[in-house]
Amino acid sequence: MPEVLVVDDSKVMREMVVACLRPYPESRFTQASSGLEAIEQLSLKPYDLLVLDLNMPDIGGIEVVEFVRGQDHLRSLPIIIVTTRGDEASRERALAAGANRFMTKPFTPDSIQGAARALLEKPQDAKPQDEASRG
Amino acid sequence: MTTSVEFAEFLPAYLAEVDELLASAQRDLLAVEEAVRRGAAQPRAVRELFRALHTIKGLSAMVDVEPIVSVAHWMETSLRLADQAGGRLPESSVEPLVEGLRAIEQRVRQLGAGKPASPAPANLLERLEALGPHVLEAAPPQPRRVVLDAEAAFASKLAPSERGQLEAGLAAGQRAVRLDFVPSAGRAAQGLTINTVRERVAKLGDIVKVLPLSGAAAGGASLAFALLLITSSDDAALLDAVGGAPATVRSLEADAPEEAAVPLAPLPPTAVPVAVAEEEMEEPEVRRGGGLLRVEVSRLDEAMEWLAALVVNRSRLTRAVTALTATGAPTRELTAILQENGRQLRDLRSAILRLRMVRVGDVLERLPLLVRGLRRTTGKSVRLELDVGDAELDKAVADRLLPALVHLVRNAVDHALELPEERVAAGKPPEGLVHLGCHARSSGQLEITLRDDGRGVDAKAVAKAANAPVPESVDGLLDLLCRPGLSTRQEATSTSGRGMGMDIVRRIVVEQLGGELRMETRKGAGTTFTLRVPLTVTLVDAIVFECAGLKYAVAVGTVEELIDVDALRVVRPAGADGLGLVERRGAAVPLLSLERLLGRTAPAQAGVSRGAKALIVRQRGEPVAFAVDRLLGQQEIVLRPLEDPLVRVPGVAGATDLGDGKPTLVLDLGALGAAHGVRRKGAARPGEWVS
Repeated sequence: MPEVLVVDDSKVMREMVVACLRPYPESRFTQASSGLEAIEQLSLKPYDLLVLDLNMPDIGGIEVVEFVRGQDHLRSLPIIIVTTRGDEASRERALAAGANRFMTKPFTPDSIQGAARALLEKPQDAKPQDEASRG
Repeated sequence: MTTSVEFAEFLPAYLAEVDELLASAQRDLLAVEEAVRRGAAQPRAVRELFRALHTIKGLSAMVDVEPIVSVAHWMETSLRLADQAGGRLPESSVEPLVEGLRAIEQRVRQLGAGKPASPAPANLLERLEALGPHVLEAAPPQPRRVVLDAEAAFASKLAPSERGQLEAGLAAGQRAVRLDFVPSAGRAAQGLTINTVRERVAKLGDIVKVLPLSGAAAGGASLAFALLLITSSDDAALLDAVGGAPATVRSLEADAPEEAAVPLAPLPPTAVPVAVAEEEMEEPEVRRGGGLLRVEVSRLDEAMEWLAALVVNRSRLTRAVTALTATGAPTRELTAILQENGRQLRDLRSAILRLRMVRVGDVLERLPLLVRGLRRTTGKSVRLELDVGDAELDKAVADRLLPALVHLVRNAVDHALELPEERVAAGKPPEGLVHLGCHARSSGQLEITLRDDGRGVDAKAVAKAANAPVPESVDGLLDLLCRPGLSTRQEATSTSGRGMGMDIVRRIVVEQLGGELRMETRKGAGTTFTLRVPLTVTLVDAIVFECAGLKYAVAVGTVEELIDVDALRVVRPAGADGLGLVERRGAAVPLLSLERLLGRTAPAQAGVSRGAKALIVRQRGEPVAFAVDRLLGQQEIVLRPLEDPLVRVPGVAGATDLGDGKPTLVLDLGALGAAHGVRRKGAARPGEWVS
């Protein structure tokens, strides 16, 4: 029963992500509206997948990835970054910080579901791509 | 695994969220403009504006609204640069940004009305695109005057603009502090999460940055959040906002004499686990202060409908108990329960009505933007002061009231306020003032005052325009002003138009909402309008009946009893005066023909039709019966005062829609009888709800 944490300051966006991933068997969803809330949630309960927006108040997605990858117990948590056209420059930074996948809005339900499935079912894919560059 | 997710299904939620984002973007843009005029930076508002546009762009891409994506994209691009430049925008950029927000708003409206969004105007996109280079020019180097404690402030994690914000706060004599909050499951169960903590702390100061900490930096806890903020509050208030220990506060000022010597003080290691352990023992409970929930109005109406059904049932129960009491049965306890039940229903009703309340401040959100536009079109210098506090209003009332307020504000700027040079010549400050204040009154009404310090209403000019004698009182003057079509201007001004005037305002306030409109004015000193409107609309539990082929409603609370009227009970049939007598429990009661009172039939008919009923209403303690043709049932109605003053007659409380889409008159039988010289009505009024 995968536990998925969906983080976005837009409620509609969170619901869209949940709607896309809901068909995945027995997944359970928790929503967080800020990067800070996400970090708080991650400290309270184990999760199997983190879906993260880049652009949020206080601390953005990249900072969340950096923080998460600095925690021993979260080092291998699969992370999908969801963001908006124009943020492509952040892609390298996010991947370097240890994100596993990168989706650009508008994405299709199938594409994000495919990414989630790959990360949940093949743990080896979930390793950060570049250990050395971890923040 | 394929999905059948249709993002188009999210359109209503998308529109609602974009609406909210636009409202906050407008506020932020006004704050930016204000700062631009003072030549200052407004880093927080610029960043919020940037984020709002970024979110709008992403959402619009998901639901495939390309015109909004384009506008938002170019606005976002220049705002990103402005954010990087420390929150500065050139003055010339404000107008295109305002237009951009308006263009998005228009398209949101189109989508809301089920139409496709029209393409983004090409020249607007060009102007927005051209903003980028200008924005970079607006960024001057910032002088540093205060040094931050680099270690406490995590200097390396702060953007230059964030550092600048902290330093500017210190330079302005405020405190720059770091407040550490340690989250836990126990605290979350008490409603203390980083989100609620953030909200509370934001009330005490300007949060510049929040950083998550772990390990040594978190002082022994597995996770801590460091909130860096500018504030005038003291340590005790700040600690209180985050739930006290294990939270800590420290100054960020490098050379602060009292605290600078304290390095990253580790938290007392023993206190933390104990406190957390205790808290974790508690059952998790529903989060308090859990923020806001968007609910469709139709769901609230549904709850109201169920409540109405309960109320109808209670009326039946009351009558049944009354009947039981009349037989001599011991009903004391039953009556007590019934009373308690009535109180509970009233409480439930006010609880549901409270759900429909919106903050007046949110309703008036658009006014600053309106005044901004008026400033530009009229060339007048205006300051709008909003003093609305926490007052709340039923959404149905708020939706009707806003156009009236918009109209009054428009009039104030357009007609009442003088041009700056005229004001100076009259010994006034060049900037005119429009003040809007409101507070809830204990009578269940909201009082709104709209004051300007303009030229005052010229009674002679109004009289001349209305072709009427100069009124003696201010009320008379207001009556003249509210004449349909009156305008003291010969030419239509571009903002207020001509002819669409105070009559609309009065109609909304008095006729639609059943409120009051008053005016005070002094030549040369200004005008104040005072509006009193009910906080909620009137819901009435009503009996619906038919009379001479038409449906009518009457408030249950005003009707004492329903009786059958057959030939046997009629003591004296209605004579030429329409007044008869009917027997009730051995006493004769005046019987009025409602048909006749309403002028529905010629007085030719005599006698009583089969199966007729009568409603008994008390007037000054004396029962009076009103004959009707047929009872149709009982239901809760929304009482709407009649809008057309010509149809306003004594005895008609208002109109309602019974669900068939046709207006149905709601009668005030007491007043109707009184108007026809029967007797004056008693205290009963429609609108009495659970009696």
